[in-house]
Amino acid sequence: MAQASKATTSRALFEILGAYKHFGGAIALNHADFTLRAGEIHALLGENGAGKSTLLKVLAGVHTLDGGTITLDGKPFIQGSPRMAMSQGVTVIYQEPSLFPDLTLAENVFIGRQLRNKTGINWSEMRAQAKALFDELGVDLDPSRIARGLSIADQQVVEIAKALSLDAQIILMDEPTAALTKSEVNRLMLVMRRLQEKGKSVVFVSHRLDEVFAVCDQITVMRDGSTVAQSKVSDSTINDVIKWMVGRELKDLYPKMESKIGDVALEVNGLSSASEFANISLKVRHGEIVALAGLVGSGRSEVARAIFGIDSYDSGSVKLNGKILPGGKPGISVASGLALVPEDRRQQGLFMQASVSRNIATEMLDKLAKFGLVSQRSENSLTQEWGKKLQIKYPNPKAPVDQLSGGNQQKTVLAKWFATNPDVLIVDEPTRGIDVQTKAEFHRQLSQAAASGKAILMISSELPEVLGMADRIYVMHEGRLVKELSRKDATQELIMTAATGQGRGES
Amino acid sequence: MIQKIAAFQTTNFKINAKTLLRRRESGILMVLVLVSVATTLINPRFISGYGLSDLLLNTSMVGCLAVGLTPVVIARHIDLSIASATGFSAFLTAHIIVGHGWGVVPAFFVGACVGAIIGAVNGVLVAGLRLPSLVVTLGALYIIRGIDYQFANNKQFTAEKLPTDLMHLSQDKIYGVPYLFCLVLLLALFGVWWMRFTRFGRDLYAIGSNPPAADIVGIKVFSRTFFAFVWCGTLAGIAGVMYLSIYAIVDSAAFLNQELIVVTAVVIGGVNIFGGLGTIVGALLGAVLLRVLIGALVALGVAQFWQQAINGLLLLIAIGIDRILSRRSETKIERIRDERKMEIS
Repeated sequence: MAQASKATTSRALFEILGAYKHFGGAIALNHADFTLRAGEIHALLGENGAGKSTLLKVLAGVHTLDGGTITLDGKPFIQGSPRMAMSQGVTVIYQEPSLFPDLTLAENVFIGRQLRNKTGINWSEMRAQAKALFDELGVDLDPSRIARGLSIADQQVVEIAKALSLDAQIILMDEPTAALTKSEVNRLMLVMRRLQEKGKSVVFVSHRLDEVFAVCDQITVMRDGSTVAQSKVSDSTINDVIKWMVGRELKDLYPKMESKIGDVALEVNGLSSASEFANISLKVRHGEIVALAGLVGSGRSEVARAIFGIDSYDSGSVKLNGKILPGGKPGISVASGLALVPEDRRQQGLFMQASVSRNIATEMLDKLAKFGLVSQRSENSLTQEWGKKLQIKYPNPKAPVDQLSGGNQQKTVLAKWFATNPDVLIVDEPTRGIDVQTKAEFHRQLSQAAASGKAILMISSELPEVLGMADRIYVMHEGRLVKELSRKDATQELIMTAATGQGRGES
Repeated sequence: MIQKIAAFQTTNFKINAKTLLRRRESGILMVLVLVSVATTLINPRFISGYGLSDLLLNTSMVGCLAVGLTPVVIARHIDLSIASATGFSAFLTAHIIVGHGWGVVPAFFVGACVGAIIGAVNGVLVAGLRLPSLVVTLGALYIIRGIDYQFANNKQFTAEKLPTDLMHLSQDKIYGVPYLFCLVLLLALFGVWWMRFTRFGRDLYAIGSNPPAADIVGIKVFSRTFFAFVWCGTLAGIAGVMYLSIYAIVDSAAFLNQELIVVTAVVIGGVNIFGGLGTIVGALLGAVLLRVLIGALVALGVAQFWQQAINGLLLLIAIGIDRILSRRSETKIERIRDERKMEIS
């Protein structure tokens, strides 16, 4: 509290008024305001696509505003060059820093401006200074080891040390905690506090509100390219922030619809694969959403891959509408009405360089083809149809899917499979890394699909999602199904005990 | 394991018995000694005093080229035109100095200039137009050789026409070390300082280690890469003059098809073909090791075919070791990531 009030009275460093920026037809920033004061840790919040990345990139010198003003410490801020941003005291720590893997940490800190004496680079001095910087941040790192093999958390520390050595006054952190463990997050927070003690200002972007409330002084919330709230952390609650971010109440999430549960669509019997999973038996009925819960690494994705036929299995069987599927033949699975939305959309779900329409038409080429040729028009009309149904936001059907936001990429994967009109849809971590709004839309789509009679097997590590969406829940632990719960019996506690292997005796 | 690799790859020069032992250079040195001792035991004539100077003289050219190529490979590029540049430089230098009646020093100057020009052309194409160096220098390999054929037009220069000083140079030595190899050592010494103690050299490591990041941190990628190619070409040109001195005869086929020997030497010497890693000392040792092996195989009476096959095998082993080491560190990283994921969920 004292900290927060101290921060608000200190002088303003960045003052952004009426920032406006568009990329082609898409408006990324629409009269956004932002004030950063000296010595504060400032959370920049908003769903994906709310404009916070764009704002951060403007401050980092990557983008230039189309309208609005930015002043830094009272003077106009020179935009459009990362080098200029750096020389004005602004640095960015990206989620996945790009260090030089073959160079030592000391050299990574001083890259391009290595310390020199009369005969050339002064290695011992550079090591000593790097060590001093790491110590200042309270992190124990050996400056003479190479960067290859360093954890992401440590890589971020190296980048922060570099920012310090450059005498940066403002440090922008773009979702630094997304790939960190809890203990690493705690360490990063300590580092952030150290920076604050040294009088630096930090802009912190994170989707994890508990982190924001633990470490930040000030909050700016963005939505649809505009600033919707600016508040002291001490004056707001997590619920306020969520309301600002989504613009509506949380109860709109998990729009579970009633659906008529029919015959068994997918039946898995005693599926086993050496060292991956053993004796998996499960059923998914038409109209039903069944969740496969468990910890990451418990073998859920492996089961999904085996059912779909990507990996082969040692024993057991998979039946789709009563017909046995041959193992290890994904092509036949697709033809029989099975679809898989994989966990990693960038690696497994999409052709990132190819256009939106190419991606959506991937599984439909045979049906779209006339005399063996697929016209672009037919691909585009398919894209328009599904783009509208799933509300995918894309600049045009020819745009590479790479340019879409994470949520829209995921919708593209879904559109690809919905287009094949599958009976059974397996979705693996469908909403990981997607903002709240898109998540809700995604859930609505799944619900609708179930209501229309499709059977859905959903792998998810998010308990609220599991509880909110599933009619039935299977829990996996170390390659085995350890529990089955109905919607009305399921609680977070029950699932967690089973997933961590404590409830084994009961089932 | 990670620490072990770190010790292998770190450019830390602190004297430390453990790290020293784990350095790639020490490994090559050990293999060198092993091969030499074993061969000498079987054929005592192998490492007599005469054999050693001969060995160094024979390593001069490939050594010089390896020293030249190393910065290019460290910057994640390749120069396949080096042997053509060497051959062309040898012929053109002979042509110019014979015409003017020039001696040793002008000969090296002319050779270096010829090589530098070739390197500059490669450099502009690769660094300026950002064309892949493999393709550019492969093209240069044929173009330069073609010009060489055209220009030489079946002519050749022999010892009678070439300056006698130059002919003697390859025979002269200090304490058994041939002058030509001393020159290579001088160039290598400069190279070591350049690559280790100047920002220029460190930038080349950075460029080879992570090219996009090099752009982001504002490294002058163009000028660094360009001059790496000029350096490589210059040393190829100097190697051409060495060729004149050693073989005392030159025609358009001089040093034909020798580029891959140099690449092999560099890679065996621990320079990562994907850039970012390696030292000039290592590359030079790689050249010596290659030569010693050839010498050993000859001394042991192994047929020519097997000599080449064994070179190839050595190359595969060298690359294999690099791969295994880096794969191990990658698996370790993956494991750490998995553990982290577990913790998150």
